[in-house]
Amino acid sequence: MKKKLVSVLLCAAMMSTLLAGCGSGGETAPAGDAAADTTTNTTADTTGEDNAGTTAASGDGSVYLLNFKPETDGAWQDLAAAYTSQTGTEVMVVTAADGQYKTTLQSELAKSEAPTIFNIGNASDCAEYANYIYDLKDSSLYSHLTDKSLALEYDGKIAAVANCYECYGIIYNKTILEGYCGMDGAVVSSIDEIDDFETLNAVATDINSRVDEINDALGTNLTGAFASSGLDSGSSWRFSGHLAGLALYYEFKDAGCDLTAGQETVTGKYLDNFKNVWDMYINTSSADKATLDSGAYNAEQELGLGEAVFYQNGDWEYAAFAPDNENGYTVTTDDLSMMPIYFGVDDANEGLAVGTENHWAVNAQASQEDIDATLAFLDWVITSDEGRDAITNQMGLTVPFDTFTDEYTSNNAFAAKANEYAAAGKTSVAWSFNATPAVDDWRADFVAPLTEYTERGGSWDDVKTAFVDQWAYYWGMTNNQ
Amino acid sequence: MEKSIKRCFPLFVLPTLIAFTIGFIVPFLYGIFLSFCKFTTVVDWSWVGLENYTRIFIVNGKLDTSFLHAIWYTALFTAVSVIVINLVAFGIGMALTKGIRGTNLFRTAFFLPNLIGGIVLSYIWLMIFNAVLQNYSKTIVSSQWTAFWGLIIVVCWQQIGYMMIIYVAGIQNIPGELIEAARIDGANAWQMLRNVTLPMLMPTITICSFLTLTNGFKLFDQNLALTGGNPGKMSQLLALNIYDTMYGTTGWQGVGQAKAVIFFILVAVIAVAQNKLTTSREVKD
Repeated sequence: MKKKLVSVLLCAAMMSTLLAGCGSGGETAPAGDAAADTTTNTTADTTGEDNAGTTAASGDGSVYLLNFKPETDGAWQDLAAAYTSQTGTEVMVVTAADGQYKTTLQSELAKSEAPTIFNIGNASDCAEYANYIYDLKDSSLYSHLTDKSLALEYDGKIAAVANCYECYGIIYNKTILEGYCGMDGAVVSSIDEIDDFETLNAVATDINSRVDEINDALGTNLTGAFASSGLDSGSSWRFSGHLAGLALYYEFKDAGCDLTAGQETVTGKYLDNFKNVWDMYINTSSADKATLDSGAYNAEQELGLGEAVFYQNGDWEYAAFAPDNENGYTVTTDDLSMMPIYFGVDDANEGLAVGTENHWAVNAQASQEDIDATLAFLDWVITSDEGRDAITNQMGLTVPFDTFTDEYTSNNAFAAKANEYAAAGKTSVAWSFNATPAVDDWRADFVAPLTEYTERGGSWDDVKTAFVDQWAYYWGMTNNQ
Repeated sequence: MEKSIKRCFPLFVLPTLIAFTIGFIVPFLYGIFLSFCKFTTVVDWSWVGLENYTRIFIVNGKLDTSFLHAIWYTALFTAVSVIVINLVAFGIGMALTKGIRGTNLFRTAFFLPNLIGGIVLSYIWLMIFNAVLQNYSKTIVSSQWTAFWGLIIVVCWQQIGYMMIIYVAGIQNIPGELIEAARIDGANAWQMLRNVTLPMLMPTITICSFLTLTNGFKLFDQNLALTGGNPGKMSQLLALNIYDTMYGTTGWQGVGQAKAVIFFILVAVIAVAQNKLTTSREVKD
């Protein structure tokens, strides 16, 4: 009997090695291949603009940037290599996988060679990493910041400085929309007339009901007015985060609290507006309402292939629609523009939603040499030609530093649109969703009843309850400790 | 000779012991320690005593059932998957030891799903499920029960072939003379199964039920990729719930760690009990 047990055990052991071999997909952090071997050539010249505290010439310190945006990894690696060859300072750039930033950051910070620069999203991140925050008040980075409200303050310190800002709204295909405006019986005769929710809703409804007619007249291949509003986790953040952000924004504005830090309770008083906009999204789209959470829809592609006119998203979509994009989209940035998400509250004064989740924080627990090297590196990034070129032209970011002038101003047309609205006297909507406590959990709890409402006729009151109650719940959970 | 080998026992065991200590015992004890701490990263902790454990169940002064939901949902999932996987795997194992044509081909085919990683497997199944369910205007995450049966199907599909191989090995090991003797004694098929095959297979059953049981409790990849815990965390199994607490809730790393300790105790107790139960039924030589 023993023998039998042994043979069975052996068999099991053999199989489990097979299983283990293919079952464990460990995260593979791209090792810092940019950390090219540092021959100690002591070039001292760190580009001009000396500011207090950042004059550390290259030397003993090294820099380790844990990058937040996967799409910018290549550009950062090149930049790091360029800096190393110029100054001899070792710069390592590691990019966390999409959606894995927090897990990566937590394990990296625990190492002896911890990141010296890491990303902080919002005020509650500051609280979480309070022990790791270096005061950037005297840094050149902060002194170059054009809008000081884009820095995060915590505990009397300048905890983190925004390294880009972004805007979101409703991206629309102006070529098709202009064509529609010229048709008989169109609700509006020019795009400029769409300046509030009622008009937008009427236009979208009309387009959606006359898809065939428009296709015949304009030679397009529309299937609906709005691109699909997927409720799967790859897309639902557009609504639980960005669209809900408008409801939060107007509520915080009324309450008079900090627009991006929020407050412990919300009442959901603007959720009816949310509902109107949401109903417009789902009712003027060709996507089957009952399967929006299947993950089978690709809204970006629908816009890119000219199947939809409207698509709620942000200026980070610009690269996807660039004229030489690799997605095979026929619709490119020349056809596209962006309008505010008219929320039906203060449409006459509403601009695009402008804000950021990207702030650089410097690790206070790093050695002083590393901190000095890090500050010098960041200064170089925003003042040198290489750095500015990489950020503006390769990464395509819009940055809030006064050193980005002339050829280094952003070429992102959506971002330019945000400035246009602001220049016309509209108020940019702040990113109030940055205040969301336990953000992933809250969004999941909000999306569940929203899905129920959308797909199976669930009650809107449940959506409201989740919005209000879960906010207080998670706020209490994460703040009252 | 044997004596000298015995004397050198510590020497031989040392490399493995060191690896085991570094790779398992130290992190395990450190993990238990951390469950009594508030921490952001594992080197940056402050002692809070039992607070993490109370916060699992009491949030904002009220009883919180999210972890309890994950516990019973996981228990139910494990129970169903253990039963289905073992019954089907045993059935197929029996069929494929009868010497039918193409036995090897079948065995290979049934085993193949095991060679695909859980994440990939689940994404493939996600597409299949949603394509089918679309006809009924549903998706895999329409309710916690569609998610439940989706997970069961994926896990069964993946593990049945694996358990089948173990059963096949066990069945082939039953001595031919025993079967022959039973047949001569006039045992019918049911009696053969009940009184010969099953008792002789108890070691195999111990192993297979242990593996499926622990796999069921520890399931993570498939849960993450197939349902992501949706709708609204209702289909979160324990491992995903812990992961979510650890990384999704600001400042709750310690609570996640405390949940993990409870999780360990739960799985250990159940696995030991199961092992005791099935081992006691094994035929002793």
